[in-house]
Amino acid sequence: MVAAKKHVAIVKKHPKRFNRHQSDRFKCVDPSWRKPKGIDNAVRRRFKGRPVMPKIGYGSNKKTRHLMPSGHKAFLVNNTRDVDILLMHNRTYAAEIAHAVSSRKRVEIIARAKQLGVKVTNAKAKVTTEA
Amino acid sequence: MTNVSSDLIWEITRQNNSFLFKRRGNGGIQLSRDPLNPVNKQSRKYNGFVNEKAVGVQPAEKGGVVVTTKNAKKVNTPAASYSTSTIGPNTSNRKTYKAIANITSKNSYRPDIRAEAIARASAIKLSQRPKKDAAESKPRGAKAKKTEESA
Amino acid sequence: MTTRPTVTIIGADGSASDATLPLPAVFKSPIRSDIVQSVHTGMAKNKRQPYAVSEKAGHQTSAESWGTGRAVARIPRVSGGGTHRAGQAAFGNQCRSGRMFAPTKVWRKWHQKINLNQKRFATTSALAATSVPALLLARGHHVSTVPEVPLVVSSTAFANAAISKTTAALALLKAVGAGADVNKVYGSRKLRAGKGKLRGRRYRQRRGPLVVYAPEEDGKELVKAFRNIPGVETCSVFALNLLQLAPGGHLGRFVIWTSSAFGALDKIYGDGSAPAALKKDFLLPSNVVSNADIGRLINSSEVQAVVRPVKGGAQTKRAVVQKKNPLRNKQVLLRLNPYASGYAKAHLGQEKINTEKPKRAGETFSTVLHEN
Repeated sequence: MVAAKKHVAIVKKHPKRFNRHQSDRFKCVDPSWRKPKGIDNAVRRRFKGRPVMPKIGYGSNKKTRHLMPSGHKAFLVNNTRDVDILLMHNRTYAAEIAHAVSSRKRVEIIARAKQLGVKVTNAKAKVTTEA
Repeated sequence: MTNVSSDLIWEITRQNNSFLFKRRGNGGIQLSRDPLNPVNKQSRKYNGFVNEKAVGVQPAEKGGVVVTTKNAKKVNTPAASYSTSTIGPNTSNRKTYKAIANITSKNSYRPDIRAEAIARASAIKLSQRPKKDAAESKPRGAKAKKTEESA
Repeated sequence: MTTRPTVTIIGADGSASDATLPLPAVFKSPIRSDIVQSVHTGMAKNKRQPYAVSEKAGHQTSAESWGTGRAVARIPRVSGGGTHRAGQAAFGNQCRSGRMFAPTKVWRKWHQKINLNQKRFATTSALAATSVPALLLARGHHVSTVPEVPLVVSSTAFANAAISKTTAALALLKAVGAGADVNKVYGSRKLRAGKGKLRGRRYRQRRGPLVVYAPEEDGKELVKAFRNIPGVETCSVFALNLLQLAPGGHLGRFVIWTSSAFGALDKIYGDGSAPAALKKDFLLPSNVVSNADIGRLINSSEVQAVVRPVKGGAQTKRAVVQKKNPLRNKQVLLRLNPYASGYAKAHLGQEKINTEKPKRAGETFSTVLHEN
């Protein structure tokens, strides 16, 4: 496994999820973000002490956007041919095996990734069994 | 034929070609599967099918690397336009790199991708070496106690 | 270009013969992927058959709205009683067993009229693209074993109905280096995703080579010989179709020409200077830019004569550089203060300051100070 390229520190400006207003109070209100539209809504009017709304300023530094804590970007692979593409990019991308790949083929993919020094994010999924 | 330049081919194929490998996540990744692309990047410089001269470095079946080059004068005769040379697994790394450097840069063939071609050969050579198994992790904490008790 | 480029004729066994044909002028027409794509989208629609839901669907009831005042929505409701259906809403697209929203009609605009000139432009453009190996590769054809592009096979291989059996046809394809492309099609057959499976489109597969022949000289037996090889299509040179020359609107179909078909191209599309013999009022389109090689344009003496010389000679000034701290970086310090080296060499910085105690002022100073 090769460590990722050096990069500036990853800073998440708002590490918590932006949950939809009042989704904590009613189970019928889904937590996925919807902008409040009400005329009196205190969140919409950005009152002090109210939850903040997502905006573009919370975006990550372009240099660290999509980076995992290891410094890699995830790259979805379906087979060993896809892993081979990452030969020259094992310091930038980490392979992520697609969910529908069987455990037999996962073993092949992980073995190939190991040869190429490519990090596999979900190497333990499906292949390890409870001892 | 004379009105078809590499620049025109690139403009026609840059949006979509059979070698292009797109991933939608992570801000959109574009890589190339072209065997004549030494870094697998989708770009005018590296894509081998676009350029008249290109260098491809691929692992050989029995170890070592195969270097493929295109002949710019035989563009329209595909069967004759590719020449390959195999550098076996017993050739030392330095000699392998020197051979590739000669192929890419002699007669100013493609000196701009010499470093990339050598880097690829280096990565291939590294991948062909046997890999050590990762050390088994020692149990810690509650798990360590449990294994101690059972032992 | 002083001499017209020629194309070697390949024999039936795949070896190059001495005979050559001049490259027809169609292959020099401009390659315009945008025009090919737009014409292709139009042409692809012209084989559609009308479909629609039944005109009566969802309206086969005598529902009437109950009007206001009954505390139910004003949607039409099925009249009568004695069954669950009575009183249920009807007709609306939101209703169970109502009609769909905007029911499809058979008089939808199914077909597209495309201007003849555009169609001809697109066809010549697609033809020109079939002579570029890079575009064939970019389309996904396996052509690295092909002796020459455009691939012209001698018509003698087809003479006297020589290719009337599929085995002979397959052997010919393999001999001329198209075997890899046929194998690609064999391996590519996959079950189609979705409902198309039930509608007669069960499998998806790639397209292989297109065999273009001249029906008079080569005969039509080869059509039957090739038709059971998956992905391989045949077409008369007099009826070339954009849907076959650029499937999916993507340029660069792998075309195998018979030599008589290849020779007929100049007659069909004209030689670029005179109008085409077989197409009324058609002159081959010409390139707007005669030299598309940007590198050669930039390095041409005409362009180089008028560009201004590089500023600052061989060394260019860097626009954005990191600021260096002169207190830490010796070289930057010397640039700012040339004396610094002499100062450091003489150890002037380390020289001791005079530490002797100051002398007492004289008597007179004290007396003057204390006057008055």
